Amino acid sequence: MSDVAAVKEAAGGQAALAQPPRHDSRRGRIARRLAPLPWLAPALILIAVVVLWPIVTMVQTSTQNITPIGVTIGSAGVGNFSKLFSDPNLPSILVRTVLWVVAVVGITMLISLGLAQLFNQQFPGRRVARWALIAPWAASVLMTALIFRWMLQPDNGVINVFLHQLGLVQFNSNQSSWLGRPDSAMAWMIGVAVFVSLPFTTYTLLAGLQTIPGELFEAARVDGASRWHVYRAITLPLLRPAFLVALVINVMNVFNSFPIIWEMTRGGPGYETNTTTVFMYNLKQSFIGEAAAMSIVNFTLVIVIVLIFLRVNSWNRQEAR
Amino acid sequence: MKGRVAASLAIGVAALIAVAGCGSSKSSSSSSSSTTLTFFGADYGTGPANSTTKYWDAIASAFHQANPSIKVNVQTVNWTDFPNKVQTLIQNKQFPDVLEGDTAPQFAQSHLLYKSSDVLSSSVLSNVMQKFLNDTSYQGTPYGIPFTTSTRALYYNKKIFAAAGISSPPQTWAQLQADAAKVKAKGYIGYGLPLGSEEAQAEALMWFLGNGGGYLDSSGNYTINSAQNVQTLQFLSQMVKSGVTQPSPGTTDRKDVWAQFAQGKIGMVGGQPALIPIIQQAGAMTSSDYATADFPGRTGPLASTLGVHDDIVAFNTGGHQAAIKKFLDFVYQNKYQLQFASEYGLLPATTSAASAMSSNPTFAAFFKNIPESVNYPSKTNWTTVENQIKTTLGQAITGSPQQILNTIQHSATSAS
Amino acid sequence: MAAETLPARSATAVRRTRPPRRLPPVKTVIIAAAAYAIAVIFLLPYVEMVITALRPQRELLARNYLPHHFAWSNLTGMWGSGFGITTSLRISLEVAGGATILVLLVAMPAAYYTARNRFRGRGLFLLVVLVTQMLQPTALIVGIYKEFLGFHLVNTVWALILINAGFNMAFAVWILNAYFGSIPVELEEAAMVDGSGRLGAMFRVTLPLAMPGVVTALIFTFIAAWNEFIVALTLTTGSAVMPLTVRLDSFIGQYTVDWQHLFGASVVATIPVLILFALIEGRVVGGLTAGSIK
Repeated sequence: MSDVAAVKEAAGGQAALAQPPRHDSRRGRIARRLAPLPWLAPALILIAVVVLWPIVTMVQTSTQNITPIGVTIGSAGVGNFSKLFSDPNLPSILVRTVLWVVAVVGITMLISLGLAQLFNQQFPGRRVARWALIAPWAASVLMTALIFRWMLQPDNGVINVFLHQLGLVQFNSNQSSWLGRPDSAMAWMIGVAVFVSLPFTTYTLLAGLQTIPGELFEAARVDGASRWHVYRAITLPLLRPAFLVALVINVMNVFNSFPIIWEMTRGGPGYETNTTTVFMYNLKQSFIGEAAAMSIVNFTLVIVIVLIFLRVNSWNRQEAR
Repeated sequence: MKGRVAASLAIGVAALIAVAGCGSSKSSSSSSSSTTLTFFGADYGTGPANSTTKYWDAIASAFHQANPSIKVNVQTVNWTDFPNKVQTLIQNKQFPDVLEGDTAPQFAQSHLLYKSSDVLSSSVLSNVMQKFLNDTSYQGTPYGIPFTTSTRALYYNKKIFAAAGISSPPQTWAQLQADAAKVKAKGYIGYGLPLGSEEAQAEALMWFLGNGGGYLDSSGNYTINSAQNVQTLQFLSQMVKSGVTQPSPGTTDRKDVWAQFAQGKIGMVGGQPALIPIIQQAGAMTSSDYATADFPGRTGPLASTLGVHDDIVAFNTGGHQAAIKKFLDFVYQNKYQLQFASEYGLLPATTSAASAMSSNPTFAAFFKNIPESVNYPSKTNWTTVENQIKTTLGQAITGSPQQILNTIQHSATSAS
Repeated sequence: MAAETLPARSATAVRRTRPPRRLPPVKTVIIAAAAYAIAVIFLLPYVEMVITALRPQRELLARNYLPHHFAWSNLTGMWGSGFGITTSLRISLEVAGGATILVLLVAMPAAYYTARNRFRGRGLFLLVVLVTQMLQPTALIVGIYKEFLGFHLVNTVWALILINAGFNMAFAVWILNAYFGSIPVELEEAAMVDGSGRLGAMFRVTLPLAMPGVVTALIFTFIAAWNEFIVALTLTTGSAVMPLTVRLDSFIGQYTVDWQHLFGASVVATIPVLILFALIEGRVVGGLTAGSIK
């Protein structure tokens, strides 16, 4: 590491990254190329062993012809992919997946912005209130989905009991069967997905809020700026880094989200509440090769979406300073 | 610098080896003097307290005492995850020696199984219910052994019937719908119709049989989209629209409908003997508050209703034929069959155990249906067809029965 | 995603504390009321879980908010040895704790180096790490089983630790990368001038300052490993190695579901995480802001 460069950058108030020295020998260059290895090796080994190897198996499976019980009877070439793309259910599932992700992530980010502002204020008992926010994150998503399904039962679910008291719903009516109708089922599942995503997102934004220097707000107040203007001109831009972190992580998690839909509707009726991840699981019961193909498509979709997103936010340019 | 690189790479590799090494002591060695059988089964219990693992563990240790050279490792998985776990095992070629809970023909097709006659003494084999045994045939030879069986009947709530002024259980579809309407007028659910993805194929078959339909015709070909079946679904659809069933039958599971019946909220439901322990546990009805009757058909009660059986299959991949035979002969003793049946409310699969239980009035009604019962097709592609029925049949209530049955029929005949 | 540095911090004012804002009382009351209301909403489904767990069989499907009798035995009864809840609690703690420690051990060197040095492949490394976060074990389950079969590690706690560590390492690397990056180098330089080596400087100076990031990675990994289900289900065959998530699954039977025990046990399963979070909550808030993209 070049100490001169490091100190110069540090003096400018930024954390320094080491710059490679200008002149060196060939042996030094090789040594330098390999220098990161001891630090990165454990991480790379863990990834290679635990993640990359199963990916290889998954890719293999997608090109094979496998019976529903799991016996491989030969190669399928691209047969699984062509069968997948000609499945009549796939287009609507893709559309629904996009809507699912957009709705859940969009609503989560919006509500979290508000929640973060609220919980950033000083008030007695703030610590306890913040702690309660953690509950959906700490509990397993599967159990949260199950309790919501329990509360939505048409005959005796607590939510229907409440709505019945308000005179809005009859027990055992079509309307009380929230999860039996695809549209209301999707709405409720989106609500549950937002519910379990809010804690992490709110805390991320909270942390972002706390790094904004208080002096900026003081200065704006002195200048007589309205609260809304302060929010738009100061808070939001400085919150952007935290916002983007939460956004990317949420997109990935929601795209891969499985327990909520599976436990609440099993993707039914038929395939009408399937997303690509649920569809993959459904396919797996009878068509293992095709399910692996769906996984690959799924995976590719997520990578493409996140990469495009990162590109748009030009992470690469600002990578190393 | 290079020394550091080499050192850390060595550490990484050593770590991997160590990790692999500390697991290697677990690999079992089967010397010529002792054999280890792996048993993989389904869990019929609802929780650790009555898990089927206990049942099989007890058999395994009693067996080991009687045969010290053979050890049996038992593992059970609950039903919802059972297919996936079996799939993972098979895909990785980790074949168990004995598998309980899956159907034989598809495994037999891949030449993975011993014939039933190879792994059971002839006396024990002839004691097994032949009707169900023949269902496990692939190309004419049985490859599985029924382990537990069940048939269906109509359960009805006598208290609700009395309140609604119904004197006897319905015998035809029209009567069932009329009775359901009377029950609904009293504020209960008339008939619980589970066509959700848990067991749609079972409920549907009970109704199909009532109209002279079913999944197979008399020559054994798929007739899923027969005119009678379409008519049946149209009847069900109109019955649902008249409001006498629970809402959204297309997404309701049997578990929920049974739980509601046990709590006295439903007038009639299609059930098995396994419903009885559930009713007893719920504590909402005494044994005189409910009764069973033959399931109604369109013009009269069904003489042949749905009969199901879960089978044991033995894999030939481990070469443990002799040990498996000893083990299975041990398993099919009367006492174990009776113990399983009474614990889980199911019927045994051997005729001797069945006659031992025939004095029990609750089971008598189900027993008499066994000889005439209709079972699921024993075709090699039945699992795939069954999955499709489970997922899509429920949509026939609100959609087009003809279209949905056509789709299923099409993939059933093109895949087999 | 490349982790970026935080806004500039001077060497002296690294730990930022906000001076308490003095709000007029009425406003505080309104804010507090809103916050409490929201906190209650967040807790409601889990309160319902507890209530359902306490329902006696007779009132399981009753149309009321609270049952007339509370079956406390539903909660106390599950601790018997037959249920295996205590064993599973221990296994879950081992798996989640082990995975968390492993993640920290593996991510810290990598994050430290990528934060301090520009090198060829830095972007690629961070991208690969990001990609691992996009995968879900559900799709890879067969490959995972096959692989751990080969290692003879099926049905061991170690397998679960390794898998949970591998799939959750990405987040830890980003968070730590950004946090390390935001700590000025001259602090370490100063420590090294005082006589400690590079590693010593890292432990004595950098790590304490990056503690919020460490704590954040800790809680994120712990929760993810604690609630992981599908891999645990596939890789555990014996009752002795079953974590809580798999144990809870056995309450779902073929014909019926043991709702009271299922919900009761899942409430119990949530408590360790809540306790852990209560202990370290203050540190987490500081940690989550790292890893931002400018």
